[in-house]
Order: sequence, then structure tokens, then C-alpha cells
Amino acid sequence: MLDKDILKEFQDVVGPEFIDDGDVMTNIYAYNWCTEFVNYMEGKEPIPFSSVPKAVILPSTTEEVQKIVQLCNKYKIKFKAQSTGLGPWNQPSTDNSIILDLRRMNKIVKIDEKNLYAVVESYVSGAQLQAEAMKYGLTVHMPGAGPMASPLASHTSMAGPGFTSPQTGHSARNVLGVEWVLPDGNILRLGSLGQKNNPDWFIGDGPGPSLRGIMRGWVGAKSGIGVFTKVGIKLFPYPTDTKFVMTGHAPLYNFEKPDYIRAYVFDCKSWKGLEKIMLRVEEEEVGFIVSHISGLAVMAIFSYSIEGLMDKMALGVLKNPLLVVMGARTKREFDYKQMVMEDILTEYDLENIVDTKYVPEKVFYAECLRANLGYHGFIATGGFQSAKGQADAAALCLRAEKTNIPLKQKYIKKEAIANDFGEGAWMTSYEGGHFFHMESPTMFNQSDLKSVKGMANYMDESNKQDLIKHLGAPFFIEGDKLHDEWGPHMMNYHNWLRKIKAAFDPNGVADSGFYITAKKEGENK
Amino acid sequence: MTTEHFPEEEYQRMIKMCLRCSVCKWIPQVQIKSQKYASCCPAMDIYDYHAYSGGGRIILALAYEMGRVKPSEDLLNIVYRCTECGNCAIACKYMNTLEPLEIIMRFREKLVKDGYGPMPQQKAYTEAMKKVNNPYNEPHEKRVDWLPSDIKVDPDAKLLYYVGCTSSYRRKEMAIAAARIMNAAGVPFNILKDDEFCCGSPVYRTGDVESFKVQLNKNLDVMESKGIETIIFSCAGCYDTFKVDYPLYREYNFEVLHTVEFFEQLIEEGKLKFTTEVPITVTYHDPCHLGRTAEQYEEWAGDELKLMPLVSINIPPKPKNIGARGVYDAPRNILNKIPGLKLVEMERIMEYSYCCGAGAGVKSAFPDMAIRASKNRIEEAEDSGANILVSACPFCSTNLQDGIKESGSKLKYYDISELILMALGLEPEKLKQATAGGS
Ligand SMILES: Cc1cc2nc3c(=O)[nH]c(=O)nc-3n(C[C@H](O)[C@H](O)[C@H](O)COP(=O)(O)OP(=O)(O)OC[C@H]3O[C@@H](n4cnc5c(N)ncnc54)[C@H](O)[C@@H]3O)c2cc1C
Ligand code: SF4
Ligand code: SF4
Repeated sequence: MLDKDILKEFQDVVGPEFIDDGDVMTNIYAYNWCTEFVNYMEGKEPIPFSSVPKAVILPSTTEEVQKIVQLCNKYKIKFKAQSTGLGPWNQPSTDNSIILDLRRMNKIVKIDEKNLYAVVESYVSGAQLQAEAMKYGLTVHMPGAGPMASPLASHTSMAGPGFTSPQTGHSARNVLGVEWVLPDGNILRLGSLGQKNNPDWFIGDGPGPSLRGIMRGWVGAKSGIGVFTKVGIKLFPYPTDTKFVMTGHAPLYNFEKPDYIRAYVFDCKSWKGLEKIMLRVEEEEVGFIVSHISGLAVMAIFSYSIEGLMDKMALGVLKNPLLVVMGARTKREFDYKQMVMEDILTEYDLENIVDTKYVPEKVFYAECLRANLGYHGFIATGGFQSAKGQADAAALCLRAEKTNIPLKQKYIKKEAIANDFGEGAWMTSYEGGHFFHMESPTMFNQSDLKSVKGMANYMDESNKQDLIKHLGAPFFIEGDKLHDEWGPHMMNYHNWLRKIKAAFDPNGVADSGFYITAKKEGENK
Repeated sequence: MTTEHFPEEEYQRMIKMCLRCSVCKWIPQVQIKSQKYASCCPAMDIYDYHAYSGGGRIILALAYEMGRVKPSEDLLNIVYRCTECGNCAIACKYMNTLEPLEIIMRFREKLVKDGYGPMPQQKAYTEAMKKVNNPYNEPHEKRVDWLPSDIKVDPDAKLLYYVGCTSSYRRKEMAIAAARIMNAAGVPFNILKDDEFCCGSPVYRTGDVESFKVQLNKNLDVMESKGIETIIFSCAGCYDTFKVDYPLYREYNFEVLHTVEFFEQLIEEGKLKFTTEVPITVTYHDPCHLGRTAEQYEEWAGDELKLMPLVSINIPPKPKNIGARGVYDAPRNILNKIPGLKLVEMERIMEYSYCCGAGAGVKSAFPDMAIRASKNRIEEAEDSGANILVSACPFCSTNLQDGIKESGSKLKYYDISELILMALGLEPEKLKQATAGGS
């Protein structure tokens, strides 16, 4: 709860109905997915509730956000911004924190179809933006989380690989102009938006201030460096024609498959083969989805319930599967891409199982086009989280994957995580194979204490393994403890990060539970 | 008995499983066609805080079980600002196995049992229902005042038209239309008159299961004593309650049909012949209780097979209600058969139709919320290009018409049975009004 006078000042900013410091509301906002094992990793009770925020506030404009941040500075209260609020990184790290739920900031400010970008606020969802972009034959990059997540959150603050990454890249690479309320309450406009004359959103780095690296780096500051209120993001050509006709009922909608879309799943049979073939497919730039997933994951992306997995057991035996989905706008383009794929299949003696051994439901193609494949990860146990999260060369990503198998098997034996033979992985390229992403989705049961604890220990060991075996930094190196562990091994980046934090957030009000605090500066010099 | 279709252990397990993914705030992701009509939850659209979503309500149920929150006005205001429309459940169950709507209903039941729910206005209508058999507190003896003298009722018929409180007292035009259509088709039917009592839906949806059971038994006793073979309903709420909820507490042996299902049959059998052009452009609002929530629970007597630690499957698969078996085709088939009528669809239809905003006690306890939700739907209907909004539920009718008035919309509203009468040539005056101002 907030002190009455302070509450009044916040109420004056947003109106009394848009701030709630009551027990009921603040407890609801203290809950999040995976919070139980994050708590356990931090030595706290493994319950799905974090520290309870002092209040939840729903601003509707940049000016309101600015005033809220100024009040936080005045009263030394921390703030945590959230868009759709999925995941533990939305949670306050202290009970001296308020949550800014940006739900009311939900405008698509513009779609510039000629210059291929859109400007959005925080609570525009990926599906909403895509639906509007599709009207111009365009699409947007979405993280693997899926179309319900916020493009603004993903682009400015949180990770960034997605199933369409071969075509649409990584969120960090798609950010253009940014409107940013800094932790000290000032507003900074990045890129071409920061120009004195004719400010516009079309580019993220100069003309105008170029601070993209500081703003989000690779995995994002997760609200630890202020609040992003509007962002310009790149749009891309939609892979096929945009006629999107669905009949029937959920979940197996009868989707009218566009003329020029085709999926391939084949077994590359060995790690070396997988690397070679994946690079080759990427080099040809034929697929808008090029994902290596495990045999079990192949079963899962084609299933709509756990029972649905059962008739797909034959797919589970694939050793090193690759999923390629290609789309085209014209018959000529489609024929060309198909011929390229035929060449690759012949050259490497591969067998496409799609439409031969297995015919996917029509809605599968709709999900490919609308970036809805990630959610299939929840089918088996209702809970999952990924270890790893490397961004590197294909070879290193595959090494990380291979190294993880025995570790995963250890926890499978302990019955802490579900049995995917240790092989559960997702690897995609970015931007036509220039670099790659690998993570290891792991299924656990969030309501089973043994599973929660096991998952926490597994994540911890996986992180440590990446460090010891030089496998690159995983996704979830966040918070002081992990940065302090990793920094000395990686050119002391943590000291620089702390300097940034100190410079941008002199009062330490941007909640940094999932970023870094400035407090240890000096100790690590 | 209630615990059979949704055992307490399931409730306790599921309230720990929400992913907080917000999928339940939107219609199924692959169905989203625009930013404007992407959302599915009237409560979220109006109150914005995550607490009001299906997922937020699950978290609240967990926080309550864990003793993190105590019953309070704040808590009740969240719990009861929900129409139990079930749209969140459709979105969640697209892939997930949670039951947001069941959890919402069970949580209310617990609050009532613990002595906290429902809201004062809902308690008042519960008392009215107990006293005069209808939640509107109207005299029981006036229940059949709607019945014009020229309508033929057959006291020996085994086909019963259960009129329901709203059509009896508030939307008499619907009761009259349904009865006239049956007369036109030459189908003998009976009504219960003094022996018809509220179906209990308004109290059931607020969590007062005990009062509901009294109502259910009263109704079933009468129907069984009369040897009824088929009951038809023009109210989607009564229909859903009889079809889906009654069998959870007491089995019965008669067939249950909504008027749209029954009238479609009569058209197919040639008993109803459309003779008159009705040159209008309409859009159809799927009532929640006729659509996604009108799926009967299917019995499941299989086994849970543990495939491996943490992963179990049901053999055979447990039937999952995901809205696919709602009544969607019958009303559309009828409309498409009316000569001259053009049906255009809104963006949110069938199992992901947007709620009118009135259900589960919202209209009485939170009239503001009901109107705001209704206005959202009216705007969507206007954007469809139709100038007439049609539906098949008296409760939707009232709230949507209130929404039309409040928003100053030019839309006209008719129940589907009124359009049938026009097409049968039995309502020339109404037809003139409907077509006035162009189609
Ligand atoms: C099934 C599943 C698969 C996933 N796969 C991927 C994946 O493939 N790739 C990937 O990148 N991620 C993945 N994620 C994580 C996902 O990217 C994020 O959860 C998502 O991008 C966040 O979008 P959101 O709308 O939920 O944002 P939120 O969850 O609201 O925010 C994400 C973070 O950004 C911060 N934030 C949000 N808005 C603002 C703002 N306006 N200003 C400052 N900070 C803000 C929040 O505090 C939080 O730390 C996955 C998650 C799930 C559940
Ligand atoms: S109820 Fe279902 S859809 Fe909603 S947040 Fe929870 S898991 Fe997601
Ligand atoms: S039942 Fe309807 S109103 Fe209630 S939370 Fe679900 S979608 Fe919202």
C-alpha cells in the first residue's frame, strides 16, 4: 500500500480508477509464470508470487508515464513497467515497487507501408499489429512467445528470436525510432526521432542519437532502464498472399491454405549433417521458418492436445529434424523455391515427411503465418521454460545443444523434468543464416514442488555449464548475482553495464531485479 | 454432484497452472482480423486491470486459497464484474487444458458458501425468485399476461414451450412471435402458465447453487408430472441451463431444443414456408448461452495413463468443451433462407462471439458495465455494414437494445423469431418498420 498522500499524487496523474494499491489487486500482480522456480533459484520460497508491489498504475500517455517516474524519483519508489506482462521478468524485486501496467497505451500510431515500418505503443499485441499490417501485404517480427506478446516489449526490452527469424531477424535489430522515458523522468528520443528538424521514426541509429546498444543490448533491460512508450519497428513482406480465410471451430479451424505455401520436415540424420543442411537452406533464403527442433517438438507443433501427440509417435524418432516453411507471392517464385528445396533434398538424400508420412492440420499453416507455434511447448505438462538462449554461429549453437543433453537426462532421471530424451531444443537462424539462436525448451510441472526445485537446479547447472564450456551467454543472465558471476569471464562487461545503470538511473528507481543495479560499482573495478 | 464434472482436486490443481500469458484477453490468435475487434473479454475491455481477465481471476482464486487475500468489497467487485461469457475459456483452451470458466464459477460458489457472495442486487433478485418465481419481482400470476387470446395452446401437447422470465415479463414480443410461429406451422404446443418457474440461471451464475437446485427440482417435478417429451426455449439462458447445467444435478428424459433449432426443422419439413421478401441487411449476434457455453458435458469414464513422470494422458481423450458444438448453423440457415435478406457477419462470431454484456448478474449489479459492453458490440455490428442486429435471446435483446439507445445508434434490433414472422407474411407492419430507411 502507498502512503495516503503519495497515493493522492499518483491519482492526480492518472485518475483514481487507474491506480489500485489494495491487497487484492497487488497480490494478483505479484503472480507470474515461472516465478516459483525463479524464487527458488534466488533462495526464496518456491511459490508463484513475487514481492507484492505497492500499487498497480495504468497510465495512458507518455506524459503520465513521465509524471509517474518523476514521482517515483521524488519518493524513492521503484517501478516496473509491463506490457502484456508474461513471465517472471515482469515482477518487482522488492515490495517498494509499483507496477506500471501499460495496457491503456495501445495505439498503433502509424503504419508506413511505403517505408516498411510501424509505430506502436506498449499494449499493441503482435497479432493486432500483424492483422493491420496484413492489410498492406506486410507482417511483423514476433518472438517465439507468440502473437499475444507485445512487439514494443520484445523490440525494446526483452530477448527477440522468433520462428520467422530467418526472414524477420531479431527484435533488437528491428528497432527504429524510440520514445523513452528515462529513469530520471526525462524523455529521450532515439534515432531519427531525435532529430531537431523533421523528426521521424524511420531509423534507430543516426541521424539523431544512437543509443540502441545501451537501450536494450542483446537481451533487453527488462524495465531496468526506464519505460519505452512508443517505438518504430520494421515491417516485412508477408510471406504469401494475405487472403486469410478460416471456417470451422477452434482449435482445428479449416484454414484455406494459400496457394504458395509449403512445409518440409526432414531428418538430417547427424549433427554435422544438420549444420551443413541448415546453413545451405539459409544460404538459399527460401524459408521464412527454418527451425531445428527435436523429434518430440515435431510431434508437439503438429498437435493440439497432449493426446494428439499419440498418433504422431512415428515423428518422434527423427534424430536431427529440420522444419522449413516457405511461402511465395507468385507461382514463379514458388516454383523456384520448390526446385531449390528439391535440389537440397536430393543432394543430401533427405526425405520430406510432410504430406508423405504426415499431413498437418490446415491450421498448422495458419499458425506458421501468424507466429503461433511457440505455444505448443505447453502441451505436455502445462509448464515449460527454456535454458540456454545462445546467439552465435550454427556450430556453437549445436555444441551447446549437444552438451546439454546429458545434463537434461540427469534431471529427467530425477523425474524433475519431462522426458524428451534430453533432446528438446529449438534452433533458428537470423536473417538468412548470418547468425543463429539456440534454446533448450524444458517441460516441467509448475504445481509440483519436486519438479519446480529440479527445474531451478537444472537451469542453474545449465547456466554454469555454458560458462565453463565456453558456450556463450544464455538468455537468463539477469540480476546482480548472475552478472557478477559472468562478468569476470566476459571482459568485465558487468562493470560497464553498472556504469550505464548509474548514469541513467541516479536514484536507482527502475527496478533492476532482472537487469543490474549500480550498487556494487567500485567493488568490481 | 457438482463436483463430478469439475472435481475439487481439478480446481485446486488448475488454479496453480495459469501461465499469465494473456491469451484469454483475445479471441483465438489466428482469428484476429483487426486491432479493433481483437479482444474477447468485456470485463478487460472496461476495467483494464489484469485481475479482470480469465487468467487474473484464476490468480485471485489461488491467492484466496492460499490466504493471501481475504474477502472484501474489492474482491467481490472483481469476481462479480464478469458475465461468465466463457470467451476467455475458448481462447485458453485453444491449446491449454485449464478451465477458466469452471474456475470462475466455482470460485463464486465458494464465496457464496463462505457467506460473502453474491452482490447485494443479486441477493435481492434471488429473494424475488424465491418469493415470486422470477428475478424481476413481478407477480407470478402475471406470468402469462403476454399470451394473446388468438394464440392456440394445447394443454395435452407433449411439446412444451418454456417461456422463461425475461420473455414473459420483459420481452413479450419474443414469446408472442415463438407461439405464433408454432401456430403457423400447425404444431400443437403447451405452456405451463402458473406452473412455470424461473429456471434458476440468474442465481446459479452468481454461485448460489443451493437456491438453484430448489428451482431446478421445482421445474423438473412439474415437467415430469406432465410427461413432457420435448421442451423448446426462445431464451438462450434457460436453454443452456436446462441443457447443460440441469443434468449435472438431476437427470431428465425429455429433449431440449432452442427455437432456432426447432424452427429450422420446421422449415426443413416444409411446415414453415417463407412467402414474403424481407429486404434487409442483418448481422447475427451469437448469444453465449446458445453458442460456446451450450455444450453438454460429455461423460468420460476412461483412465489416466502415466506416460512418464510428469506426463499423463487420458485414454480415451477426455472430451473438452471448446465451443465447437454450440448452435451456430441453425440461426444462420434460417436467416439465409429468408427471401431478400442479406446476412453479413461481424468479426467476432460463433465460439469467439463477443458477449452482449448482461449475463451472470452483471446487468443488475453493474449496469454500467453491461451498457459499456453492449456499446462495444453495437459498434461492431454497425461496422459489419448491417442496419439490423438480430439475435436469439431475450436477455441479449434487452441489453443490446439498451446499448443501441445509449449509443444513439441507428441500428434496429429484432429477435430472429420476429424476422421469421415477417417472412411468413404475418407481421406486415413490423416489416414496414424494418425496411424503412432502406436496407
Ligand atoms: C511459450 C513462450 C515462448 C517464448 N519464446 C520466446 C522466444 O522465442 N523469443 C523471445 O524473445 N522470447 C520468448 N519468450 C519470452 C517473450 O519474449 C516475452 O515474454 C515477450 O516478448 C514479452 O512480451 P510481453 O508483451 O509479454 O512483454 P512483457 O512480458 O510485458 O515485458 C517483457 C519485459 O519487458 C519489460 N517491459 C515491457 N514493456 C516495457 C516498456 N514499455 N518499457 C520498459 N520495459 C518494458 C517488462 O518489465 C519485462 O521485463 C517466450 C515466452 C513464452 C511464454
Ligand atoms: S487463463 Fe489460460 S489463457 Fe489466460 S493467462 Fe491463464 S493460461 Fe493464459
Ligand atoms: S467469462 Fe467473459 S467476462 Fe468473464 S473473464 Fe472470461 S471473457 Fe471476461
